[in-house]
Amino acid sequence: MTVVHLDAMLREFAPDGSLRSDAPTVAALLDELEGRYPRLRSKLRDETGAIRKFVRVFVDGEDVSRSPGPTASLAGAQTVDILHSIAGG
Amino acid sequence: MAERKVRVLVGTRKGTYIVQSDARRKSWKVGAVSNTGRDIFHVRADPRHAGTLYAAVNSGFWGPILYRTLNWGKAWEEVATPLTPVSGKREPRFDDKAPPLPVVNLWHIEPGHASEPNTVFVGADPHLLFRSDDLAKSWQPIAGLNEHPTKSKWNPGAGGPCVHTVIVDPRDARRMYVGISAAGTFRTDDAGEHWRPTNRKVEAGFLPDPFPEVGQCVHHVALDPANPDVAYRQDHGGIYVSRHAMDDDWDRVGKARGGPKDDFGFCVTSAEALPGRAFFVPLQGEARTTPGGGLQVWEWNDTGRRWRTLMGPKQFPGDFGVHREGISADALDPAGIYVGTTTGQLVYSADAGKRWAQVPYQFPGIHSVQVTV
Repeated sequence: MTVVHLDAMLREFAPDGSLRSDAPTVAALLDELEGRYPRLRSKLRDETGAIRKFVRVFVDGEDVSRSPGPTASLAGAQTVDILHSIAGG
Repeated sequence: MAERKVRVLVGTRKGTYIVQSDARRKSWKVGAVSNTGRDIFHVRADPRHAGTLYAAVNSGFWGPILYRTLNWGKAWEEVATPLTPVSGKREPRFDDKAPPLPVVNLWHIEPGHASEPNTVFVGADPHLLFRSDDLAKSWQPIAGLNEHPTKSKWNPGAGGPCVHTVIVDPRDARRMYVGISAAGTFRTDDAGEHWRPTNRKVEAGFLPDPFPEVGQCVHHVALDPANPDVAYRQDHGGIYVSRHAMDDDWDRVGKARGGPKDDFGFCVTSAEALPGRAFFVPLQGEARTTPGGGLQVWEWNDTGRRWRTLMGPKQFPGDFGVHREGISADALDPAGIYVGTTTGQLVYSADAGKRWAQVPYQFPGIHSVQVTV
């Protein structure tokens, strides 16, 4: 069971800040989140399934957003943090 | 009789504003910003449903999002956003050999014909047009345009590969026009099943063939309110007029007819009370800023075939940019004309261009201005 944390800016689309999931991969977790919070659809990843440029997914503290990306395994993972990346100056 | 309200819908780099006045258009009230911090490429009123506005929101973090209000902006809600149907279990509608491309930005929202009150169109990047027949609950890509046989010859404009102009002929729901950067204008007479390029005699000086069938970088188009067969076009290659529903050769009326010395620019509009005329803000082609040291508005009178300067460069000195949706006219008489700049000034004339003033508010950079009365 993985604990998933969503950052504050995502509360607009997903009111719960944290939840638990048994999803085996990041892609499956995102599917699950989009099913639970329909407004998350297309916000974290685009129509091709790619994680958006300024979204970061950390699995046990490691950024997997680009590599390996959505196929990243969550087997044995304790925590997933989904954050927006700093896009300032 | 209730006083008529004039609302200027302002899409900016940092949110949506509604600026309100009465028919005198002397004092203005700037409402609270919505969708704070997000790029709003276009805000559009739906004249078929009083109080309904749509906003094309493009978030750097979360991608394109379409918003709507049913009460003049008191409350906005997210509605379905048109997306390319390539994910999940939805069937792909595009060429399987082509890589699927996500929608990057929503550019233009166009309510459908008065006889089709549930229809809405959205033009988007990359080179996509969508149609909804249930007031933005769901969207269908318009394959006749999105998969047009000439598409391999289309290029992106500086703002991206976008369908940025969508016009429904007010006399015929089946006839529509689109403007695409950099592909040019297209017309359909069968509600989007088939489209034909309509770019004859529009110069594309940046291509080996300067007068190709497609590839022109149209910037915006407005129809004449009294005769919708007349179209006014601000193109990368100058200012043009078509007088036969784009079936004819476009007539370059810009600098060749005594118009702006540099007839580059992005925006054009027409006004209900001023048939036979169109309004432009000339820009320098290289810098994309106003020439002559100040903001200017020029009027083309197609009936008299002559130009007139409505606003000279001295009243608002500086180097201004104006985007393609940055000019609009209201439906009052005398017509109000409104210009929003990329540095956040909203200037207007309440008397068809005789006198100009600035709304006393510093907006973020303005992408779009639209007026509803």
